[in-house]
Amino acid sequence: MGEWGRTTLELIVEELRQPVRLDESFERRVMVRVRRLYAQRRRHGVGGWLGGFTRVTYHPGWAAALAASVVAMVTLGVMRSRPAGVATVSPREPVQFVLVRPDARSVAVVGDFNDWGLNDTALVATNHQGVWSVTAPVPAGVHRYAFVVNGKEWVTDPNAPRSAGDDFGLPSSALVVEDSTK
Amino acid sequence: MNSRPARGLVTLALVSAALAQASAQDPRIMPRLDAPSRAAITALVDSARAQGLPVEPLMEKVYEGMGKGADGPRIVAAVRSLTLEMASAHRALGTVASADEIKAAASAMHAGVPAVELGKMKKQSGLRRSLTLPFTVLADLVSRGVPVEAGVNAIKSLVGAGAKDADLNKFQRNVSGDIDQGAPPAAAAETRAKAVPATKPEDDG
Repeated sequence: MGEWGRTTLELIVEELRQPVRLDESFERRVMVRVRRLYAQRRRHGVGGWLGGFTRVTYHPGWAAALAASVVAMVTLGVMRSRPAGVATVSPREPVQFVLVRPDARSVAVVGDFNDWGLNDTALVATNHQGVWSVTAPVPAGVHRYAFVVNGKEWVTDPNAPRSAGDDFGLPSSALVVEDSTK
Repeated sequence: MNSRPARGLVTLALVSAALAQASAQDPRIMPRLDAPSRAAITALVDSARAQGLPVEPLMEKVYEGMGKGADGPRIVAAVRSLTLEMASAHRALGTVASADEIKAAASAMHAGVPAVELGKMKKQSGLRRSLTLPFTVLADLVSRGVPVEAGVNAIKSLVGAGAKDADLNKFQRNVSGDIDQGAPPAAAAETRAKAVPATKPEDDG
């Protein structure tokens, strides 16, 4: 088995080491296709404005200007409105949130990883005999979160560190998500 | 000469304006905060950015306030307080600190840990060891009643002994469990800190 594996591997390596030889007509055939496609696009252009615009974008200067403008505007807008979450790209790791509350009718998880439930982004936990849980991808980093029981009662996670700074009179827990790719 | 360049310019301007407008109006904030609060928060965020502070935690604080039903002035006060704490943390930890470390340090300061203590811990731990979790656990200990000095000493000894994040998580759970069962917070922290196995600090990635 081992001998067979080595032999097969050697064959594959030998094959991969062979220089790639292209048919002499390869380049000519590719260029014919490219020219045909370009001609089709010109014939079936969307016309008027867009047709003209399409031609303009092929100019290196216009393309560069448009790209620079888009990048600048997006960057400026992101910095002005919401620097968080968009400017920083962190890998997401699955995190399970668990709360034991047999008496609860509903349990949701809100935190800075889902904008504290604004715009219906709360994570809805499922009930298994009073053990409520939900697993969700959370960006690597340090986070604050809480459980919301029955839609109104804010509860910390009894199995997590408390987060200092309950500026709004409702408690929060702390969560540190490690980046598993590091 | 045709009008192609002119059309291109107009399109460019329209695209740029649309993008700027779309990204400047965050639907999560605009309809919910009053204008003075929005202006105050914008100024605080700009100030934080100018100081080289991470601004993400400030926006998270805004969302937290809105999610918890706080009014504009209270949210502004919380964001201002966090800005000051992060600035102190940034000065204490130095430029080598990550955004998460600054955020965690600000939380520890909010609990009552002096910035100077956090700075000492950062200097002693070296560049490779992230103190995000140690600061988070320290904030938790102090908020549960562990005196600052006892909490700092416990975390320092654990980090100095090369405790990994898993060890710190276990330590935090044990201390909070002991306190919940009636143990004096300082005694719980000091006793549980002795139980964490020592490893070489350089082994901790």
